[in-house]
Amino acid sequence: MSEIVKDIDNAVSEEVIEEVAENAQEQAEAAIEETAKPKKASKPPKQKGMKIPYERRKALYGYGFIALWLLGSIYFFMMPVIESIIYSFCDTIPAPDQGGMSLDFVGLKNYKNALTVHPTYPIALPEVLGDTLLKTPLILVFSIFIAIILNQKFKGRTVARAIFFLPVIIATGPVIDIINGNMDSAGTNGGSEQFNSLFETDLVGDLLTFLGIYGISDKLTEIINTLTSDIFNLVWNSGIQILLFLSALQTIPFSAKEAAQMEGATSWEYFWKITLPYISPMIVASLVYTIVDSFVDPENQVMKIVLGMGKNWEFGYQAAMLWLYFIIVAVALGIVIAIVNKFVYYEVG
Amino acid sequence: MATKREERLFEKEMQKIRKARYEKMKAEGIENYLTPEQIRYNKNKKIIGAVWPIFRFLIIFGLGFVILYPIIFMLSTAFRPYEQMNDPSIIWLPKSFTLQNMQETFDIMSFDTTVLNTVRLNLIASVLQVITCSITGYGFARFNFKGKSILFGIVIAMILVPPQIITIPMYLQYAFFDLFGLIPLFNGGETITLINSGWTMYLPAMFANGIRAGLFILIFRQFFRGLPKELEDAAYLDGCGPFKTYIKVMVPNAKTSFLTVFLFSIVWYWNDYYVSSSFFTRNDTVALMLKNLDSELTSRLFNNQTPGIRAMIVWLESGCLLTIAPILIMYIFLQRYFIEGIERSGLVG
Repeated sequence: MSEIVKDIDNAVSEEVIEEVAENAQEQAEAAIEETAKPKKASKPPKQKGMKIPYERRKALYGYGFIALWLLGSIYFFMMPVIESIIYSFCDTIPAPDQGGMSLDFVGLKNYKNALTVHPTYPIALPEVLGDTLLKTPLILVFSIFIAIILNQKFKGRTVARAIFFLPVIIATGPVIDIINGNMDSAGTNGGSEQFNSLFETDLVGDLLTFLGIYGISDKLTEIINTLTSDIFNLVWNSGIQILLFLSALQTIPFSAKEAAQMEGATSWEYFWKITLPYISPMIVASLVYTIVDSFVDPENQVMKIVLGMGKNWEFGYQAAMLWLYFIIVAVALGIVIAIVNKFVYYEVG
Repeated sequence: MATKREERLFEKEMQKIRKARYEKMKAEGIENYLTPEQIRYNKNKKIIGAVWPIFRFLIIFGLGFVILYPIIFMLSTAFRPYEQMNDPSIIWLPKSFTLQNMQETFDIMSFDTTVLNTVRLNLIASVLQVITCSITGYGFARFNFKGKSILFGIVIAMILVPPQIITIPMYLQYAFFDLFGLIPLFNGGETITLINSGWTMYLPAMFANGIRAGLFILIFRQFFRGLPKELEDAAYLDGCGPFKTYIKVMVPNAKTSFLTVFLFSIVWYWNDYYVSSSFFTRNDTVALMLKNLDSELTSRLFNNQTPGIRAMIVWLESGCLLTIAPILIMYIFLQRYFIEGIERSGLVG
């Protein structure tokens, strides 16, 4: 591998030198020609050796750089994707002797079944969608808040940062399942469950009752409840987002801070007028990450249903469900991004 | 942009000047110098400056506790004798410590061989992945070629499409591996199976299509785009070809980015449950082992009787601790690079 690269490199570098020399010579010749016979239309300069112009050659190198990935993504990504789309239009019967799967084209039947016949899928779909739309802004606001705190200067900042990024290291894979007590044998008391039962209080309800407000709005109460009672999941799910916002906060130029101080901006004004515009591109990135992350989470209801389908060998049905889900998610994502993008401030330059 | 040191110096100097000026004004009567609004602004700032650190400490301490809770719980449980699990007088500190749980879990998971196996898979795949993703990212960052935006769209699609969608086609591809029909030519018309071999991890990584490869390509692209173009121009003028330029000039400049991606790659491969559970039928990796720990426990320690609700928790938490221990130790030593790396790796921009 590296030898080939070296070979190519040597060849290329020689060519480059040659061409540079040739070009210079040609230009000189052309100049002499022009001065000698100014009235004659100058012919296009003759090229010897490599005939591909520099720009085209660079483009070819571009292909060279991505060739490995391109091959891989055809084999490991695009082909499986296409195959899975084909499955979704077929009845699949496992057949180990003919390449694993025999297909029976049935058109849109799988999609129709998923939406009309399946007992839980059509109910779970809007639920998961709503849940995500509720949780995403919470996670974003929370992680911006934490990122701003972690960006301030105080003693023990390094330790605080290390703790807040711990979920990034741990919160994937089966460890979080045990922590959440979600193992196959239901009822295993994990850390988070114990945490929730230790600190379970209906603070919001109590407060609202205390204030004499009863059932002002179920949705509002639900949002506040998610924030207060589910703080465990909130904190454990926003590691990457905090990281992204923190890195965005570091890009705010010092001159902006200085100017704001000179003008006598309060911290509140500083946040809205300087911090938020500067980190707004990252808001889009975290938004995409949060939404995708919560949709792909194997613990959400739709994913549970869909992954359970695989056990019955109904891969066509499963594929149809997944693609339906994915399309809905993609459309939702597209709409959200289109809206948010209007408020994003990109620095010129 | 000012460096950190300049910033600190500036801040210090400003404070000194402000203090001196304020003392002077106070001596001469503050009303002569400032409008009432300014006085109010200063007062507010002083109050916030005194109160905010307390709040900040409370917030960080509280949330830090939420994050650390499962780990403290893990530590408390893993070394606790099994009988003391149901003792209501014990919350955190058990009455006696034992290493028996750890030992038994270690044996059941056959932790020594599993860990070596996982480390091998992990390191090879991560190294391959970092190399290929960086090459691809560089190709996308610095070369213009036809269809670049479409190809980059595929990279984005790789991030967005959940891996579960393509599990089944991928499984079939691995089970009847023919590499575009090449392998049967040499193998007498037979395909080979890659299921249960490390190649299911190495091959995609080799072609920049491993776990979360899309994200890594994106990170590298952003980083390389942020480097000054003059670096390469100088190399080209000196007669370097693009590949040599990449290796000699760009790679040394991208060290932090490489380290970040490498660390994240290791973490994600370590925690990966999806790939290993789809393509391995044996318990070969730590994550897979942990996921199946409860069924192993049932058959080995409880003679296939269904154990009680909290009976297995000590072993499960020991398994968790064993699983995250290597990655946690790595994180404690390298957390600086995780955090600073992502801040500098050019995710922003």
